[in-house]
Amino acid sequence: MNRRNFIQQTTIATGGMLISGVAGAAIPEQYPLTILHTNDVHSRLEPFPMDGGRNQGLGGVAARASLIQSIRAQTEQVLLLDAGDIFQGTPYFNLYKGEPEIKAMSRMGYDAVTMGNHDFDAGLENFANQLVHARFPVIIANYDFTGTPMETKYQPYTIIQKGKKKIGILGVGIELEGLVPENLYGKTAYKDPIRVANETAAILKKNNCDLIICLSHLGDKYDDNKVSDEVLAKETEFVDLIIGGHTHRFFEQPRKYKNKIGGDVMVNQVGWGGIQLGRLDYIFSGNNRKKSMEANTVVTVKKTSE
Amino acid sequence: MYRLSFFSFIVFLFLGCAPAKLPLTVSYQAYRVNAQVATDTGLQHMLSPYAATVNSTMNKVIGFANTTLTKKMPENTLGNFMTDCFQKMGAEKFGKKVHIAFMNQGGIRADINKGNITIGNIYELMPFDNILVLQDLKGDILEQLIQHNAAEGGWPISSGSSYTIKDKKAIDILVDGKPLDKAAIYTVASSDYIANGGSNAIMLKAIPQQNIGYLLRDALLEYIQQITSSGKPIEAKQEKRVIKADE
Repeated sequence: MNRRNFIQQTTIATGGMLISGVAGAAIPEQYPLTILHTNDVHSRLEPFPMDGGRNQGLGGVAARASLIQSIRAQTEQVLLLDAGDIFQGTPYFNLYKGEPEIKAMSRMGYDAVTMGNHDFDAGLENFANQLVHARFPVIIANYDFTGTPMETKYQPYTIIQKGKKKIGILGVGIELEGLVPENLYGKTAYKDPIRVANETAAILKKNNCDLIICLSHLGDKYDDNKVSDEVLAKETEFVDLIIGGHTHRFFEQPRKYKNKIGGDVMVNQVGWGGIQLGRLDYIFSGNNRKKSMEANTVVTVKKTSE
Repeated sequence: MYRLSFFSFIVFLFLGCAPAKLPLTVSYQAYRVNAQVATDTGLQHMLSPYAATVNSTMNKVIGFANTTLTKKMPENTLGNFMTDCFQKMGAEKFGKKVHIAFMNQGGIRADINKGNITIGNIYELMPFDNILVLQDLKGDILEQLIQHNAAEGGWPISSGSSYTIKDKKAIDILVDGKPLDKAAIYTVASSDYIANGGSNAIMLKAIPQQNIGYLLRDALLEYIQQITSSGKPIEAKQEKRVIKADE
C-alpha cells in the first residue's frame, strides 16, 4: 500500500513538474480518472484451485471486490469495465448458466461490459435472461440483435459523466461465423467492427466526450490480416483507449499506436481468469479536453519489482 | 502488497492546438489478485450457496495424474490424451472402429495438473457441452481437415496417426498407421462443434454426423474412471504425432 501511494505521488509530481516546465504555463486544474478493467474472466468466481497449477490461488470475485473497494476509497472517479467472455470455464457456469457471475459483477459496481464469443455459450436467450441481475449495460455496436432475445438488452455506446469529464464507451465483438455455433448466435448479424467503431466514436466525439474508450473482444493481434485491436487502433479516428480481450494476453504495459489521423491510441489487456486487474490513471488538464491529431506521445516506463 | 508485477508509466500527450502544449498524463499498473488481497465478505456471502453445491458435486476425485498434462503447439500431451480418449470412447459407444480422432486447440481450456484429478478439473478442461460425433470422411476431405489443422499450427490427433508441418502444410500424413488414401473412407471422431464447421473446419459442415448425445466431457470422465479402476495413473506422452519439418 505504501509503495503504491509513493509511486502515485511520484507520478503526479513528475507530471506536475513537466507541466510547469512547459513554456512557463500556469498549472491548470487537474481532473483524475481511474479506469479499472478485466477481460475473459470465464466464470472464475472462486480463485483457481490449489492443485499445484501455475495459477493456483489467483483470482476470485471476493478478492477482486475488496481490491476495487480499496481503490475506490482512495480515488474519487473510478470506471470499472470488462471486455467480455464473462461466461464459461468453471463448473459454476455449467450449473448456474452465468447467474452468480452477473450478480457478482453488479455488486462490484461494473459500469459497462461488452460481449465475448463465450457469452453466447448457453444461448442468447440465457444471456438475455441473466441480465435481469445486471446493474450495468452491455455495450456492443457491431452486433445487430434484431429479432433475437437480446434485442432490447444492449446498446451500441454509453456516455458516463465522471466529475467534470464525459467518458464515451463503445463496444465491438468478434466475428461469430466459424467461432460460435450457429444455433447459439441465431439471427445475430455481425457488422464490420472498424466501420462501426468509427461511426460510433464520431457520435461520442460530437457529444463532446473527453475520453473515448472502446471495449473490444476482437483479440489483440494476429499473424494473418484478421481484424484485431491493433488493426482497429490504426484505423480509428477518435478512440483514445481500447480495452481488449479474447486472446488472453497479459500485456507488460499498454501498447501505443498511431491512429488514422496521427493521434495516439492505447490498447491494453489483462490476461484472463481475473488473475489481474488493470488500472489506468488519467489526469486531464482543466482547459483541454482532447488531444489533437498532431499529438505527440512520449512514454516513460517505470518498473518496480515486488 | 498484492501485485507481483507492478509498473507505471507516464504518457504525455502534447496538445498541438493549445497555445502552450499541456500534457495529459496516464499511468498504468496491473494488480495481481492473489491470496494476500483481503476477501470481501459480502461477495463471499453471495457466492456461498452456489459454492456449496458446486464444491459438493465437483470435488470428487476420479483419478491420479503422475505428471502434469499441458497444451502447446504443435503437439501436446493433453491433446494426445484427449484424442486417444475420443477415439477409444467413440469406438466403444458407437460400436465401430474409429480411424482417427481430432480436437481443436482452442477447445482445450485447462491443464490436468499432477496429482488428484477431480470432476471439477474435467469440467474446467472441457467446460463446453460439446457432443462426441463420428463422421465418415473420404480421404480427400480428411486431408483437407488435416491441412486446415496444419495451417493453424497443428491440432491434436489420436495415437497411430501423424504428419509433419512444412511451410504451414501437412506432409507425410499417416492415418491409423498407414499413408492417407484419398479414395478410402475413414471414420473420424471429433465434436459437434468442429463437425458443424467450428474453428473454421468448413470442409466438415456438409458431412452427415453420427450423434448419440454423448458429451465429450462424459467421455473424458468415463475414460479416466476406466483407467483408474484398472489401477493405472493418467499419463500421456509426446510421440511425434505432429511435428514441424525443422525439428
